[in-house]
Amino acid sequence: MIDMVKEKIEALFKEKKIAGFLGLREQNGQVAPHLFMEGQALEGMCLGDRKIAGDARYPLNKILVTLARQYPEETFGILARGCDERGLYGLFRLNQLDPDKVIAVGIACPGDLALACECKKPFPEALVAGEKIQAGDSIKAGRETLAAMDTLDLDKRFSFWKNQFSKCVKCYGCRDICPMCFCRECSLECEDLVSKGDLPVDIPVFHLTRAMHMADRCVDCGLCDEACPADIPLRLLYKKTAQIMDIEFGFTSGINKDERSPLSMMGPAPKKVAK
Amino acid sequence: MTLLSQVLDFCGVERERLRARWVSSAEAPEFVEEVNSFIDALKTLGPSPLKAKTAKMGVS
Repeated sequence: MIDMVKEKIEALFKEKKIAGFLGLREQNGQVAPHLFMEGQALEGMCLGDRKIAGDARYPLNKILVTLARQYPEETFGILARGCDERGLYGLFRLNQLDPDKVIAVGIACPGDLALACECKKPFPEALVAGEKIQAGDSIKAGRETLAAMDTLDLDKRFSFWKNQFSKCVKCYGCRDICPMCFCRECSLECEDLVSKGDLPVDIPVFHLTRAMHMADRCVDCGLCDEACPADIPLRLLYKKTAQIMDIEFGFTSGINKDERSPLSMMGPAPKKVAK
Repeated sequence: MTLLSQVLDFCGVERERLRARWVSSAEAPEFVEEVNSFIDALKTLGPSPLKAKTAKMGVS
């Protein structure tokens, strides 16, 4: 798989289509993001599969946004799984990246990874290597997780989330790792909303503010869940907001390249789409 | 609104605790009626489950 990816990248460099390729590199047994430049022979490049597929993931999109801000004229290549590409589509929509300045080199995820991730679409459109796996089972798994929550009574749900939220140490890890969080000023640092220096955090303001901001952005990549040192099931919360967006407005973030968010439209709400 | 009320419900806060209405500044009676009916609704619901928590947080 990696040979096909390398071949593609080398071709892109040869055709002078990209100034650099943002991927992953293994060095001293550690996987970390790396910007490969022309002539580097893609040494040490890897796909983030250490022991099992996709166990070393990074928010490459987030790094790309920073790069693009510094070098707006340059075109970059980027390694993208299904979730990363959804993120790219979201960032195009939100004017954080220029679609003409990004070339995605896509890899598909294997079935077990897709299932573990409850992935909506485990392969990118810009597929270079790997086999497309249909998302049926993994989508179903995601729905079941949500349905289990919905069977609980209101007060059970309340105490569940209160316990979860009170574990928060306010490290801002969820925000910092999120590839869809790009604002220069963050509401979570606004003292009128979130008090500084106090623990536990303002419940539920802190987490629900983020959930509301994520409603039309979250591409369900699950990095926040992985990053949270307190193991708060953040993804479950954002999955719910995404489900509401889908049911109420027929909108799924990052599935279509030309999507528009119903939350940024004026006028009557878009029609519900029967599914 | 659609979104927030459902998110609150998911987190175990009654949807009835959230209300948004458009009332013109020229419609004082409507405003009074709206607020009174909201107060009545809240009294029926009783104290918010979040209240105990926030009161505690004020002390640091």
